[in-house]
Amino acid sequence: MEREVRWYSYRFVSGTRRRERLVSRLAPYLLGLPAIVWLAVFFLIPLALMLVKALQECNPATGVCVMTWHWSSLSDAWTNSSTIIFRSVTYAAIATVIDLVLSFPIAYWIAFYAGRRKNFFLIMLLVPFFVSFVIRTVIWKFLLSSDGLVVHSLQALHLVSSDYQILGTTGAVIAGLAYNFLPFTALPLYVSLERLNPALLEASHDLYAGRITTFRRVVLPLCAPGIFAAFLLTFIPAFGDYVNQQVLGGFGNTMVGTVIQNLFLVNNDFSAGSALSVIVMGISLIGIVIYGRLLGSKSIGDFV
Amino acid sequence: MSEFPENIDPAIMRGLLSPRLSRRQVLQAGAVAGAASLLFPSAAGAAVGDAAWWKGKTKTGLLNFANWPYYIDSYNGRHPSLDYLKTSKGITTTYSEVIEDNPTFYQQIRPSLQSGSSIGYDIIVMTDNAVGLRYLLNGNYLTPLDDAALVNFKKYASTSAKAVYANSAKRLIPWQSGMTSLAYNSSKVSTNTSSLKMAFDTSSSNVAKLRGRVGMLSDPIELGNLALLALGKTPATSTPADWQAAATKLRQQRDSGLVKAYYGNDIISELKQGNLWVGQVYSGDVFQARIGGNKNLKLMNPTEGVLLWTDNMCIPKGAEHPRDAMTAIDFFYDPAVAAVLAYYVNYITPVPTAKAKLTSPAAGWQTTTMTNLKKDIGVAASLIAAAPEVFPTSAYKLKTYYAFKTQGEIDLWNEKFAGIPTGS
Repeated sequence: MEREVRWYSYRFVSGTRRRERLVSRLAPYLLGLPAIVWLAVFFLIPLALMLVKALQECNPATGVCVMTWHWSSLSDAWTNSSTIIFRSVTYAAIATVIDLVLSFPIAYWIAFYAGRRKNFFLIMLLVPFFVSFVIRTVIWKFLLSSDGLVVHSLQALHLVSSDYQILGTTGAVIAGLAYNFLPFTALPLYVSLERLNPALLEASHDLYAGRITTFRRVVLPLCAPGIFAAFLLTFIPAFGDYVNQQVLGGFGNTMVGTVIQNLFLVNNDFSAGSALSVIVMGISLIGIVIYGRLLGSKSIGDFV
Repeated sequence: MSEFPENIDPAIMRGLLSPRLSRRQVLQAGAVAGAASLLFPSAAGAAVGDAAWWKGKTKTGLLNFANWPYYIDSYNGRHPSLDYLKTSKGITTTYSEVIEDNPTFYQQIRPSLQSGSSIGYDIIVMTDNAVGLRYLLNGNYLTPLDDAALVNFKKYASTSAKAVYANSAKRLIPWQSGMTSLAYNSSKVSTNTSSLKMAFDTSSSNVAKLRGRVGMLSDPIELGNLALLALGKTPATSTPADWQAAATKLRQQRDSGLVKAYYGNDIISELKQGNLWVGQVYSGDVFQARIGGNKNLKLMNPTEGVLLWTDNMCIPKGAEHPRDAMTAIDFFYDPAVAAVLAYYVNYITPVPTAKAKLTSPAAGWQTTTMTNLKKDIGVAASLIAAAPEVFPTSAYKLKTYYAFKTQGEIDLWNEKFAGIPTGS
């Protein structure tokens, strides 16, 4: 087929062979142009602007920023917020692990046992997430409040003391993160499990591997890219999230997203806000690269 | 003695409201004015907001009004006072509840103001203690109001409302005022009920009683000024050393375990739901909660004093319907209209005679509206008229907020207080 096309182009594009070769060499880039422009306009330029803002000094009254090259804004942002950054990483990591543990059996079951009703169960998994993110979280706030359903029931059963509270605790924040980002874990896992050829499991069985060994030596390695994608898709947004913490948490569990939001909207300190954003972005990127080297797979693109 | 702010030292009021210009700003303003006069050599001698400028402004019958949520009378999805503005003055209002907080709103309108175009609103409402309002005054972004159009205002406004107008070089007119204090659930808390110590006492006995039941506002201005009061300082005359002490006090309060979290306007629902027993609140919210059935929720009148703030109407430069805005501003000073607003929003009205109008409403529009509103509010207007939260008596020691003089002070304040709600 390929040869036929070549022949076709030799015959009818009567220009020189060199020009033809140039076009074919440029073709992938031309085809990629929309994506490249998109990335430049919506990712690279804003990223550069963010760094520039971080190095400027801004007047909140006029919005005028003057370039002062104060790299110290980055180190200041780090010293002021390193504890909160570590905390955010920890919360996001715990929430992601919870999500992986919870959604693996779900994805496994849907992929292998749901049969004709796969799509139905997938939709069932997603339906709660058709409601807006913030509204879902606020409803959790009502459920978990001191005179809400959960705390009241636990108190009625004398399982907890009368001054027991869920809202404002670290547990509430992590639970909120885990709940809100669950589909981002479940779907990539499902995709990777769904692709797994059941014949391989049978083969493993025939070769006298037990259930656990099959899971460990066959299933896990084959869906590693799915786990990798699931981890990234859950961890990154959870790391920067500020809604869950603001709605469900208190001051002792502030996450870095809240601090950035306050710097921009309450203090109108654009420079410090940008500096902290640069740091968060940097940490995420470095983390992803290291993680990708250690665990990643070339086929991650299939899942993201 | 019933109406508010008479017991405020006028000197403080003046200090609070007169924009302070740094030397550099004056020079900049001069340079800009100079450049403008070169570009427009003969603007008919009329500067924005002077009598000649106002003479050229005529009624369009339209008004775009930006205000805070739940800050005007509502009945059946309509605003009776704005309907009355339409029938009595022929002005149709597009009312937008778009102001959620001062800093964000300022940053939203700033680009339009700087480019000299309309921000889309003819009247906006900003708080006197807010940095954003200071920027608006210093940046010369507000239109001086038409003195000749202020008929009701001159007749009915309280002394302090007139002071606001005079001291802001005719650019601000109060919409409503309110107090920031503590509210407490009287069925849960019975000690220190007349002192801010209730929320700040970190002794083990108090912490044992109130662990995780105290809520504070996350706004650094509110947080810092209340802590200054709790320390026994007068916020308006406080020094950076006092700020440091107040920040330390707030950290002690937070780290003792008393504070559950820091909130925005939603703190009142936390108090109503019982998640909090003590909270830093705006007076009108507590009053509404109480007449709404939360009988145990009390606004504290602390011996240390309460903070008084005023939300002001102003006309941004570039407004498309300035004449209509002017008419509307004066319209809200009609005692009948002011009484309806006071009945519904429960904040402190700048029209003292509204109190009399609450108990004996004017025939016609006011009587009809009050009868309708009563179906929603459920309490008699006489109860509102007698409420010290709405018409504060001299029993309240009203204190003003610290007025920032420079950007450096604002930055220092934020450095001291803005990190407290995020745990730093």
